Amino acid sequence: MNEAWRYFLLFFGATLVANILLIRFIALCPFFGVSGSLETSLGMSISVVFVMVMATSVSWVAWNYILEPLGVGEFLYIPAFILIIASLVQFVEMVIKKTSQPLYRAMGIYLPLITTNCAVLAAATESVKPGFFTKLNIAYHYGFIESVVYTLGVAVGFSIVLIIFAAMRERLDLAPVPKFFRGIPIAFITAALFSLAFMGFAGMFGL
Amino acid sequence: MEKERTLWGEFSKGFITTNPLLVLMVGLCSALAISTKVENCIFMGLAVIFVLTCSNVIISLIRNFIPDQIRIPIYIVVIASFVTIVDLTLKTIPAVYERLGVWIPLIVVNCIILARAEGYASDAKVSHALMDGLGIGLGYTIVLLIMSTFRELLGTGKIVMFNTTIVTLGTDKMPVIFILFPGAFITFALLSALLQWYQQHRKPKVKEG
Repeated sequence: MNEAWRYFLLFFGATLVANILLIRFIALCPFFGVSGSLETSLGMSISVVFVMVMATSVSWVAWNYILEPLGVGEFLYIPAFILIIASLVQFVEMVIKKTSQPLYRAMGIYLPLITTNCAVLAAATESVKPGFFTKLNIAYHYGFIESVVYTLGVAVGFSIVLIIFAAMRERLDLAPVPKFFRGIPIAFITAALFSLAFMGFAGMFGL
Repeated sequence: MEKERTLWGEFSKGFITTNPLLVLMVGLCSALAISTKVENCIFMGLAVIFVLTCSNVIISLIRNFIPDQIRIPIYIVVIASFVTIVDLTLKTIPAVYERLGVWIPLIVVNCIILARAEGYASDAKVSHALMDGLGIGLGYTIVLLIMSTFRELLGTGKIVMFNTTIVTLGTDKMPVIFILFPGAFITFALLSALLQWYQQHRKPKVKEG
């Protein structure tokens, strides 16, 4: 199996086969929180892809050059990664505010929310610290490019599902729903059907 | 007497009126992912109760010394320390640790805990923060147990805890869907609909009384 194909599989697996929202239930809070309208979910998606890839890159450097050589990774990785994410989010927010006003208007309000988006910490932990990688049937060596490709896959998977689901919920507002199922319950039923559809990806390319 | 009642009030409100999962809609991720087995839920529930109570108490203790601008990083560091304790403790039970996996470090960003730290413990008395932590944690655990009982029983036909079968329906031909991913969403939707039904039925009675 050549390298490019393996990276493709890693990306594909992270995006669809082990989709972070529908198959693994990570980051459901922002999923139900911002999926009310298509516009907000687009803004959220762009910010998430951006922050997640950066967070994993920095975490990878921190793990391989600081935490692991010093032998403190085992008990310091949680505070270290979460602080990296929190400060990165603040930093990104400042940079965007100074450099691009339109981008800030599109992403700005979602950035603080991303700190508590479990997907960011999950992707960073899984792809950087040995022992947490999801059980995709693929060899994984914790290299830098692998981590970034995997995280990009996770983030794209998050975005695709968030945007499709937002479009569905906009239609759902007009649908005749039983009284007690209005609002949150019907959103969950929709998510269940959506998840059922995504289960169809399981086993593709032997993943 | 009155003080006791308020303490009890702080404790019991987590069960229904401000149930973290069903009403506040926080901490959903772990609840849906973990609830395939009752056994997992017990450990996860204990972990969350521990972290929530300890971080609530600590944050309530130091609430007057925290500069307002950097309060969120401070909360996160406090929470992360307790999560590390849980992480290292659970590692001694490899079977459980393997199944809970990434969910243990993810307690740090579990919205329940940060939401209670920011929204409640940051200006509450220590005793109240303690009761709030216990109550909200128990509310989370109860919903987790209901969901997992329902899912494990319907999905596999039996409930297995610590390698012993506790309840069995005597058949293997069960709808596996409940233990798979869509089952989690369906179960939660049903619980949430049940709560809406309960609340709408209770309202008129309150008006009459």
